[in-house]
Amino acid sequence: MAEVKVKVQPPDADPVEIENRIIELCHQFPHGITDQVIQNEMPHIEAQQRAVAINRLLSMGQLDLLRSNTGLLYRIKDSQNAGSVSFYLSKMKGSDNQEKLVYQIIEDAGNKGIWSRDIRYKSNLPLTEINKILKNLESKKLIKAVKSVAASKKKVYMLYNLQPDRSVTGGAWYSDQDFESEFVEVLNQQCFKFLQSKAETARESKQNPMIQRNSSFASSHEVWKYICELGISKVELSMEDIETILNTLIYDGKVEMTIIAAKEGTVGSVDGHMKLYRAVNPIIPPTGLVRAPCGLCPVFDDCHEGGEISPSNCIYMTEWLEF
Amino acid sequence: MTQAEIKLCSLLLQEHFGEIVEKIGVHLIRTGSQPLRVIAHDTGTSLDQVKKALCVLVQHNLVSYQVHKRGVVEYEAQCSRVLRMLRYPRYIYTTKTLYSDTGELIVEELLLNGKLTMSAVVKKVADRLTETMEDGKTMDYAEVSNTFVRLADTHFVQRCPSVPTTENSDPGPPPPAPTLVINEKDMYLVPKLSLIGKGKRRRSSDEDAAGEPKAKRPKYTTDNKEANLDRFHQHFRDQAIVSAVANRMDQTSSEIVRTMLRMSEITTSSSAPFTQPLSSNEIFRSLPVGYNISKQVLDQYLTLLADDPLEFVGKSGDSGGGMYVINLHKALASLATATLESVVQERFGSRCARIFRLVLQKKHIEQKQVEDFAMIPAKEAKDMLYKMLSENFMSLQEIPKTPDHAPSRTFYLYTVNILSAARMLLHRCYKSIANLIERRQFETKENKRLLEKSQRVEAIIASMQATGAEEAQLQEIEEMITAPERQQLETLKRNVNKLDASEIQVDETIFLLESYIECTMKRQ
Repeated sequence: MAEVKVKVQPPDADPVEIENRIIELCHQFPHGITDQVIQNEMPHIEAQQRAVAINRLLSMGQLDLLRSNTGLLYRIKDSQNAGSVSFYLSKMKGSDNQEKLVYQIIEDAGNKGIWSRDIRYKSNLPLTEINKILKNLESKKLIKAVKSVAASKKKVYMLYNLQPDRSVTGGAWYSDQDFESEFVEVLNQQCFKFLQSKAETARESKQNPMIQRNSSFASSHEVWKYICELGISKVELSMEDIETILNTLIYDGKVEMTIIAAKEGTVGSVDGHMKLYRAVNPIIPPTGLVRAPCGLCPVFDDCHEGGEISPSNCIYMTEWLEF
Repeated sequence: MTQAEIKLCSLLLQEHFGEIVEKIGVHLIRTGSQPLRVIAHDTGTSLDQVKKALCVLVQHNLVSYQVHKRGVVEYEAQCSRVLRMLRYPRYIYTTKTLYSDTGELIVEELLLNGKLTMSAVVKKVADRLTETMEDGKTMDYAEVSNTFVRLADTHFVQRCPSVPTTENSDPGPPPPAPTLVINEKDMYLVPKLSLIGKGKRRRSSDEDAAGEPKAKRPKYTTDNKEANLDRFHQHFRDQAIVSAVANRMDQTSSEIVRTMLRMSEITTSSSAPFTQPLSSNEIFRSLPVGYNISKQVLDQYLTLLADDPLEFVGKSGDSGGGMYVINLHKALASLATATLESVVQERFGSRCARIFRLVLQKKHIEQKQVEDFAMIPAKEAKDMLYKMLSENFMSLQEIPKTPDHAPSRTFYLYTVNILSAARMLLHRCYKSIANLIERRQFETKENKRLLEKSQRVEAIIASMQATGAEEAQLQEIEEMITAPERQQLETLKRNVNKLDASEIQVDETIFLLESYIECTMKRQ
């Protein structure tokens, strides 16, 4: 009779048992456990079996592999994620690990989305593979591509059911990647009219100048309320949005702004100060140079006596003289 | 001297003084300081004519002379002074508003003749005023001299530098050219003139001479007076500031600012950055009589002016109810900036003006940020920025990230340099005025034949009226000018007036820009 070497299996050397033990350990230490801890807990298991168990758990998506200064950490995945994991596991049964990796990366990017080149860096996969995988995922309706408003050629990818972040779509001023100029113009004019009428009423009240000036000011909160009540905007506008519109009015030279210290808690104050806006007139009328045709002439530099274009035969001047 | 300035000077000299003076003047402007013989040689005119031309130019303060070593006298043209000739109508109009017709005529005579003695001015003005008055009335010399004295008191008229009187006569030969000196204190002294007399009418001079047996022989003075252009400029600058305040705030504030400026007229030099501090009590006392506002209201207005973002008025202390100064340099800078903005707005549109003001406020800004702040679509914003860049209203500042200045790794910031933009605009103004003058001359030349004909007809009518002709004959002569010709004459007159008015308007822009540039250069 040949001697059969029987390997004595320790009682709990069953792979499933090992996995369950590891999962229990992970639950005990939610911040993650190192390989060392697992070894201490189950000293009789060989490194090989341990590795197999851990790999299985990882591929099933129940464990997360993290790197720390001390070494590798294994952490239990959130139950939430575990749920979605099982969801896509069922969907992606046939896909390979690469796709899962790419999906992971996109998920991590949250609602800002991630560019295809960044996916490539993170996963170290070649470009062709990435493109194939992305097409696959898109057709399975797991991810979607959103055009960034900053660079219109760039496409960022994010999970299908997530709302893109404001920085990608541009916020209230963009609708479908198009800058809404007319909307901005309308808001601009409305704000200006509001401030102008306020200044008019203040001027006509004819009280002493201090009161007159103070009543011609409007805080950004007042303007915001007025615009909301007007109801010309389909999109909800915040106070910062109104402040950007008021800033454009300042750059138009029609409005001036002062900042005053306001008590915390007064309506509209931010960090202890309030911005006040007031409609103003320009300080000089259109200057003399632009009243002559030469001031606005597009061919000014070519004009000289005796040439094709000269003051004597200037058609702009002729038209202007006929007024 | 830029090409545009030289062209403009040559046009002005030709219009006011004629061909020869123009040739000499332009030659001097081009080549700087030169002695007499060299001028004659280079321009190819005879020495005699050169002398006469130089006489005219020196009389009008357009050319100055200096004695160099070895006794050579060199003449130098003042280009900026020649350009002031554009502003003569404005000076005359200002005097008219301040001192009515008498003052207006005094300044007009002084400007047209360069320098004049007081007695000559008074006589001429009295004669001219008497012309326009009704028969029987004459203009008294005393009234005219009073106005003259008032003009000198407010520094609108000043004494010219003259040859210093030496106590002991110089033993050596007289110097080739006198060095003129003028004492600062004597600048505005007016000689005690007892001019008694009345203005004479041109036609009836014989009768009047007989009718004034008791008139003393007027004493004539020998020192010349000239118009003080700096003082006029100060006045224009004050006007601009007051109207800016009126536009930004209300009428009362502008009156207060005007009072403050009037009080500092004599005490502050024209190139100072701030006026002298004025206390609120003083201002209250000096307000014009019609404005009865209480002290508290005045104080409130002053506080408002000092707090305004315009920063024209500043508070410098608390004594005497609050000491306030007017920030002249800041005011000029704001006016120059407003001029630039206005030009950008008219030339390129209000969106471009928005971008321009944005870059002005932020000092240095990237293209992406321009789109965000100004709320203008990216494509249009880019287009406008490049257009303004190509017209030199803006400039780019490069900030490289890497030592090799690779364009993809460099920051490009847009910025506005107000001084250089102002200079660029000033140059454009000069060329524009030259164009307008040329067009005016062209229009006149086109219709020369018609003008001559109308002049002849007028002369005939006048002579016939003098000899007492009948209505019918006058009508016949008038009909020599047909209706379409009359129409043409009307159009011509209207066009010439329009071009003239336009020159004066462009000159206003020139004034603001020049004052700002001068003020900034002095500061540095």
